[in-house]
Amino acid sequence: MNERFTTIAAEAREHWDAARANGREQVNLCLDTSSLARGGAETLAALQEAVSAKGLNVDIQTTGSWGFCWLEPTLSVRSAAGTRTVLYHSLTPDRVDEFVQTVLIEAGELPELALGVVEGAPSEQIGMLEDHPFMQGQIRRLMANCGQIDPENIDHYLANGGYEGFVQSLEMEPQAIIDVMLESGLGGRGGAGFPAGRKWDFLRNATADPRYLVCNADEGDPGAWVNRVLMEGDPHLIIEGMLIAAMATHAVEGYIYIRHEYPLAIERMNVAVGQARERGLLGEDILGSGKTFDLVVFTGAGSYVCGEETGLINSIDGYRGMPRIRPPFPAQAGLWNLPTNVNNVETYANAPLVMRHGAEWWSSVSDDEAKGTKMFTISGAVNQPGCVEIPFGLSVRDLLEKYGGGTPGGVALKGYQPGGPLSGVLSAEEADLPLTLAPFRDRGLFLGSGGIVFFDETTSVVDLCTYFLGFAEDESCGRCTTCFQGTQRAVEILRRIGNGGGREADLDTFEDLIQTMSWSNCLHGSFAMTTVKLALRYFRDEFETLIREKRDPTRSLPGMITYEITSAGDPALAEAAAICPTEAIVEEGSRYGIVDELCIRCGACAEVAPNAVTVRDRFV
Amino acid sequence: MAAEPTTRELRELVAEFEFERGHLLPALIEIQERYGYVSREAIEVLARQLRTTPALVYGAVSFYSDFRTEPPPEREIAWCSGPACRLRGGDRIREALQSTLGLPLDSQSEDGAYGLRLGQCNGTCSEAPQLWVDGRVVGDLSVAKAVSIAREVMGDA
Repeated sequence: MNERFTTIAAEAREHWDAARANGREQVNLCLDTSSLARGGAETLAALQEAVSAKGLNVDIQTTGSWGFCWLEPTLSVRSAAGTRTVLYHSLTPDRVDEFVQTVLIEAGELPELALGVVEGAPSEQIGMLEDHPFMQGQIRRLMANCGQIDPENIDHYLANGGYEGFVQSLEMEPQAIIDVMLESGLGGRGGAGFPAGRKWDFLRNATADPRYLVCNADEGDPGAWVNRVLMEGDPHLIIEGMLIAAMATHAVEGYIYIRHEYPLAIERMNVAVGQARERGLLGEDILGSGKTFDLVVFTGAGSYVCGEETGLINSIDGYRGMPRIRPPFPAQAGLWNLPTNVNNVETYANAPLVMRHGAEWWSSVSDDEAKGTKMFTISGAVNQPGCVEIPFGLSVRDLLEKYGGGTPGGVALKGYQPGGPLSGVLSAEEADLPLTLAPFRDRGLFLGSGGIVFFDETTSVVDLCTYFLGFAEDESCGRCTTCFQGTQRAVEILRRIGNGGGREADLDTFEDLIQTMSWSNCLHGSFAMTTVKLALRYFRDEFETLIREKRDPTRSLPGMITYEITSAGDPALAEAAAICPTEAIVEEGSRYGIVDELCIRCGACAEVAPNAVTVRDRFV
Repeated sequence: MAAEPTTRELRELVAEFEFERGHLLPALIEIQERYGYVSREAIEVLARQLRTTPALVYGAVSFYSDFRTEPPPEREIAWCSGPACRLRGGDRIREALQSTLGLPLDSQSEDGAYGLRLGQCNGTCSEAPQLWVDGRVVGDLSVAKAVSIAREVMGDA
């Protein structure tokens, strides 16, 4: 083992051990974007103030996410003796006083807010965290540090085995590193599942220098935030993965391309890169090995197609982020037309685990054809929007029921989107599919990068198509007529159908568009119609009912409904009239009516006067 | 955030950037962070600094949705366009906001007092449907609540 590293790691472990044995209680508050959205920063400030005002013997640290995103802010408390750690949830700012009094001052516990015991023995009221229904069956490898360490402290990462995988690779031949990756079966986590080892081998065999690595952290699929959880929770894991890839490919510089919607991830990646550089893990002559590799954290500026690897390369190069025509492939001509390898955040993050524990350990987590664990985020019509890490192969329905907590109000599941706006929609009858690559590939789509969005029977599939095609239209780069005009045309037709003007011939036009748009240069255009294609396969009757009967079975499309006042004397109507943004509710005498021409179908009136306002079919 | 940038300030701000090093986006981001938007003059100054054309710089400015070409409004509502929000009435919230504010998405009132912007999903889907009001998440909305927020932002409440 590299001597310099042995020293660095030993020092880090000393710091870590000393901080954990300092006789003080340790409070670890999750402070990621989800926690911030639920008041995490205010919780932190209130905790710090209470601890200092009362002179408590407590250290407060911040961590990334445990995945309980719907229960943030989460927070763990480790006893001063270091024998017991309990994880709590929903520590919103208004609960801080009670928490400080009961847990920190009186040394009691708050079972009603406890998720489980992390360290120590379970009690009658608080079970082990690993037995919590949301944690059962999860295998936390990528997320092992998330929630447990301070992502802005490299010592924490080093003390938990960090950079050991890289140091092994530092002393290996590039071919040997690639062999380990190939043996593990690690596939790209961006959606297509292409073997990472083969991709690295392309770059290793490139003929030009210098060579570059790019980490695609553009995570633009709405409803996906697995990369954010990793960057905000354990940024060094990604840096270490890129370092291993650099050793395997002779790359000298890397770029981590992060979307600007992730300011906290950008900040934490920057801090981590700075700390790695300080310890001699990045830069010139890494750990005295004579090898060079450095990283730049690059901020995107709002463009979905920059998630396509050649669009991303153009964006760093300093052009509009338009995907390139291939070949040449990035391994021959990428950044500045020099050899480049692009992988997703989660792909790089797996490399340290493969190196540290071996290919066999890494791949033996399940019998599934796709190896290793996969992170998924769950959102939409679910009770528990959160982030999990599981082996490939769990059924979509189990993901929804076990981890997503089922659909709200028990409304029946109608379908789901497996991975981003280009991945289409599948119906509930396909909810027994295992979450792995093959079954989705067989149905003409990708499993995607891990953001699974569920929708229930209250949702109109035409609305979903309008939404996803509208997104594809907005984000089309403009290169291919098939894409930028095709998406426009599809949106126009979908809107017309949704407004009661559908024609029988529209369905044939969709078939034409599916065909012609598949000729587009990149996946954005060629997969934009996947939603419509699959919607016609699974929900054709809904289109036909809209076109032939001018009726929306979900009664949710604004163009297919009217609002009517059915109880004109209801006192709540005064409030409804006041909230209506278009003054469509008018009072005549003591009775109210709706002027249909002014109504925009926003439904605000029905929210405040639910017993007086009724939704009706517009054309039936 | 400073108001009208002077040419000299702009030149100093971008002096360290070079075209061949992938500096176009970082330079534009720095200009916008400093002034809140990328002015016509900033585009020309940056083009000279990077030894390229204003057309290429403008091409990038117009391609990426984060860049603004006029000063941001004093108060701003960003509407989340993500799927979890959409499934919980997000599009009806958009209609109501547009009507209340009298603005389409990505525009602002003539006096620059308030504006409405399209926001992208950042995975805080537990808050759906949500808005960012002056950068702060306001979640678990109803349409009625969104209308009240818009009126407050307009100074009408």
